[in-house]
This record gives sequence, C-alpha cells and structure tokens, in this order.
Amino acid sequence: MTPTWQSRWLGTVRYGEALELQKAAVEERRAGRSGDAMWLLEHPPVVTLGRSARPENLRTPASALQARGIDVHEVARGGDVTYHGPGQLVGYLVADLAARGAPDVTAWLRGIEAALIDALDGLGVPARRIAGMTGVFVADPDAAAAAAPRKIASIGVGLRGWVTYHGFALNATMDLSGFDDIVPCGLQDVAMTSVAQERGEAPTRELFDACRRCVEAAFEAWLG
Amino acid sequence: MSVDVVLPELGESVVEGTVARWLVKEGDRVEIDQPLVEVTTDKVDAEIPAPESGVVVAILAAEGETIAVGAAIARIDAAAAADAGAPAPAPAPPATGAAPAASAAPRATPAAKHAAADAGVDLGSVAGSGVSGRIMKEDVTSAAQAVGAVAGSPAAAAAASPVPPEPTPAPAPRASARASGGFDEDRARQQFGRYTLQEGDRVEPMSPLRRIVADHMVYSKRTAPHVGTVTEIDMGGIVEVRARHKQSFRQDHGFGLTYLPFIVDATVRALREFPVLNSSVVDDAIVIKRDIHMGIAVETEKGLVVPVVRHADRLSLAGLAAAVEDLSARARNKKLSADDLKGGTFTISNPGRQGNLYGFAIINQPQVGILRMGEMVKRPVVRELEGSDAIVIRPMMHLALSYDHRAVDGAPANGFLYRIRELLEEAEFDL
Repeated sequence: MTPTWQSRWLGTVRYGEALELQKAAVEERRAGRSGDAMWLLEHPPVVTLGRSARPENLRTPASALQARGIDVHEVARGGDVTYHGPGQLVGYLVADLAARGAPDVTAWLRGIEAALIDALDGLGVPARRIAGMTGVFVADPDAAAAAAPRKIASIGVGLRGWVTYHGFALNATMDLSGFDDIVPCGLQDVAMTSVAQERGEAPTRELFDACRRCVEAAFEAWLG
Repeated sequence: MSVDVVLPELGESVVEGTVARWLVKEGDRVEIDQPLVEVTTDKVDAEIPAPESGVVVAILAAEGETIAVGAAIARIDAAAAADAGAPAPAPAPPATGAAPAASAAPRATPAAKHAAADAGVDLGSVAGSGVSGRIMKEDVTSAAQAVGAVAGSPAAAAAASPVPPEPTPAPAPRASARASGGFDEDRARQQFGRYTLQEGDRVEPMSPLRRIVADHMVYSKRTAPHVGTVTEIDMGGIVEVRARHKQSFRQDHGFGLTYLPFIVDATVRALREFPVLNSSVVDDAIVIKRDIHMGIAVETEKGLVVPVVRHADRLSLAGLAAAVEDLSARARNKKLSADDLKGGTFTISNPGRQGNLYGFAIINQPQVGILRMGEMVKRPVVRELEGSDAIVIRPMMHLALSYDHRAVDGAPANGFLYRIRELLEEAEFDL
C-alpha cells in the first residue's frame, strides 16, 4: 500500500522543474494516492522570491542576475528572498498535516527546525533557533558574536489545504558568495554560514553526502 | 445562502496573515476545494480553498492587507450555484441518488458529492479513480463533460435533460487530449473502463498485494518502453551436467538441483559483460549499478513476489541453488521479510512449464530488464555433424528478455541474451 513516509534523493534539479514535481505531488497527496514524502536535492544557482519578498532585498537587479546565468523565480511560499545553489542541501516536504493529527503549521515549522538542529548536531555543528526568526542558526557560545547570528539553514513552506510543500535549504558545502546579491530572508544583520565553514573544512562532496545522510536520519526519526 | 470564507487557524502561534494574492475575483464561479487566495504568515504561504461551490459575491480583504485568524476574507453565495438556469428542479433525483450513495460504503468524497449535485450527475454512474475506488471530484467533472458531449445528438438530448445546460464551469479546451494525440484518460475510462454488475458475479476486492501488483504493472508499462527479444537454448549440456550431479548434490545439500540456478549463474555472468542491463533510469541519467542482486519471481498463494538473491555474482552455482531454495521455501511459508524483497537489480521469472513456450514479462521497476524462462521441450533441430547438416533431438528452452529501450538498445540487449545462450550451451559450471 502507499508508504506513510518516504525520503528520496533527486540529485540536481532545476528550480522550475522541482516546483512542477511538488505541485503534482501535492495533488497526489490531497487525493490520498500517496504518502508523505521528502525530496532532497540541489538546485543550479537560482534566486527565489517568496510572497513576503520585498524588491529592495534584491541587491542586484534580476536582469543582471539572469545575465550571469542565475535564474530568478517568484514562488508561492512564505519567506522573503533567498538563494539556492550547488552545495546547498534543499529539502522539499510534501506532507498532509491533517493526516498526522491536529494540523498546526507552527508546529510543522518548529519540527523542521528541530530535525535540522538534530542533523547538525550529528555533524558536530551546534545549532539553535532564534525566537522570532524562522530558520536555523549556529549556536555561538560567545555572547558578543551572538549579536550577529550566522544562519545555516533557511525555511519556507507552502500550504495547499493542509498539505505542505517547499521546506528547507541547508548550507552544506555551498559557495556563500551567492548570497551577496540578496538580503537573505530580508534579515539585514544576518550572515550566512555553511557546515563546511563551521567545521573549518574544504567543501567536499563527501562532506555534502555526510550532511545528506544526517538530514535523512533526522527526518526519518521525526516523520518515519 | 451565503457562506463566509475565513482565515483558518493555521497554527498555535499564528494570529494573523497577510493576503498575498487573490486567485479569483468577485463574480467568479468556484468549486468546493478550489484555491481562492494565497495568504502568508511568517514563512508560510497558505492557499485557502473554497468551503463551498458557488459564486464569489464579495472580496473582503485586499492584497497586502493583514487580517486576523477567524476574520472573513470573502463571501460565497452557494445558492447561486444551483440556479445555473436548470429548467426543472433537477437536483432532486440526482440529490436523492447521491444520498443513498453517501450511506453506502464511502464511495465518493464530499467534494465529489457536491460537484455531482451541482452538475446533476448520478454518482451511481460514475467510476471512481481514487483510493479503494472512491469517486473523486475529477471523476464527476469528467462524467459531466461526457454527458455534455453526448448531449449533441437528438436522442441523447432527452436522456440528458436532467443535466442543467451548463453543468460545470467549462474548462479550457482539453489541451492535454490534443497534445497526447487525442487520448484522454478520463474520457477513455468513462467509455471503456466500466462494467455493470450482473447477478451471480462475484466481487473480490483487491488484496493489498494485488493492488501493489496492479500499480506496479501499469506504472512499468507506462514508464518503460518495453521491447522483447527471444532466443532458444539447447539445454542438452545442462541436462547432462545436472543428471551427473543430481544425486551427490542432494546428498550434500539436502535439496534438489533444478535448472534455475544454472540460468541465474549464466545471467549473472552476462550482466557483468553487459552492465547496462543492470541499471536504472533515474531522472535523465542511467545509473549502472555496482552490485548484482538477482530477483527471482515466485508465485505464492497470495500472489506474485520477487525475493532477491543479494550479491548473486559472489555465489557459486551451489550457493545460488541454496539461496534460491531458501527464498522459495520462505516465500511459500510466508516468511519473507521486507528486506528480502528490496534492492533487486535484475529479475528472472520462471512461470512454469504448462502453456508457456515463451512470453515477455513486465519489467520490475526500477530495473531495466527481465528474463523469462519458457518450458523445456524435446524438439528436432538442425546441427552440423561431421561437416554436414543433420536433424537431432535436443531439449530446447526459449528465454525471452524484455528490456527498457530508454536505457538499453537492441545491440546490447541481443548481445546479452546471446551471451546467456552461449554460457548455457557451453555448460561449463563448477559443481
């Protein structure tokens, strides 16, 4: 019968294509023809603008970005503007919140954050939430440094009825200069960081795969 | 009557949301469940669906406006749906038709029942495409359109009278039907896929295993362009090897040596030489697998299962025989675990001797090839003996390969199958 939880690695998928896949998956889920699923993938460089996006958060105009081969997409998900690129582990979760019990989108967001924090723990990167900001930040023991928090994962979710889509983006081994063209999530004082940067390591494929495995395990433990 | 569309309670700490984008405007007809508006809260963009079918008579919050949970953002006049110019109070018969359907086994979703009442479609005549044959809203919409299409002819006009002139908001012309060469799945299902029960018919609901097989088989045929190729094999050499070792094998291992392990061994060796047959199509890549895990299709009481011999290439002939014997026994005793059924990279099917000269099996997804054994029969064949042709009697077996032409072309497929034949006819096995 239809499994209740499934996690799949899709490799590199263009943003637009992933969006189409999700739309189809949401319809399947709403019709009860499939179970909940998480897709893990990477995107070629793309800047996406969510419904809360403000034009001033795009530091470089869209046309200039596109001329450099960076796709720009407007999309029906929460959150402001963000950037996706190779080395960033993107997770899309299509799940029926109503089927899992009392549907609560806040609990869903917190659940995604908690699973990512667990995964990062497994990677030796202490992470935390910051009240009032959705996303996962590096937990800095140094109080002064905490004033300029470093963000390691972004979250943005869509809802169709009670079925979710979109999800999270974890900076595993990506080149962070991609964020220079935007004000990530509209947060002016936040710097982006990555697992590679926090571990002081070179951004290798092995490290990316390790991130992927930790994330798969953490989400399986929560939703499997 | 009017119904308010409110901002639902999305989450514990969500007290308000901002209207991001209206998907409909005042005056639009909407169906129940149709998305009306996108509302954002922090990090969540939620599509709010219509709670009823009807006409949007008022939009109460503008794009960019922030509204509290529970506040009304639009108003729908559900009564407006029923007056789509229907001559008679048409909903009466279909509505009573719908009510018994509701009290019967849950056959139609609430959205489908509403759509059926609106369109004057009798749910009893609609084939369901959802889980357990449930009637989905889409099934009702197609049924309504099929009736609308038939209503062109005068004879049908009388039959179609219960249907209001404009059953459902006319959708965009079926672009998908044009693009797919005139094939429209819903229409085809309505036309060809229905059967009315007769007295004496026995309805056997599909078991979970049957359902899995049904899903898999349709999916496999639809996704993989299957090509079949067949060869015939002179099994004389194998027959002889087996006859020589039959007794000692049974004494050493406790079970009988059949022909299947020989076929598996030859197939495994051929897969090493033609690795593209041991692959999967993943997105737009062909993944050639490192390991060979051989699925052996077994017919059990409950149905078809395919347990997997892991790392089949690491096993000797005796090892393969033992693995196959173990899996078959456990399959018959229903002692297979989920792990036994996972991870196969190629499949061999042996459906038995009777009525099976050869046949092309359906590929076991996500593999790209499946080999099916035919019956072994003594036949007169031509062999060259001492420089001239002679007719001899040999035990012959057909082996048929179905392969996925997305990944495998004819040359490697034929080469692979021919290699299996060579290995079996050379009959050099270590026993």
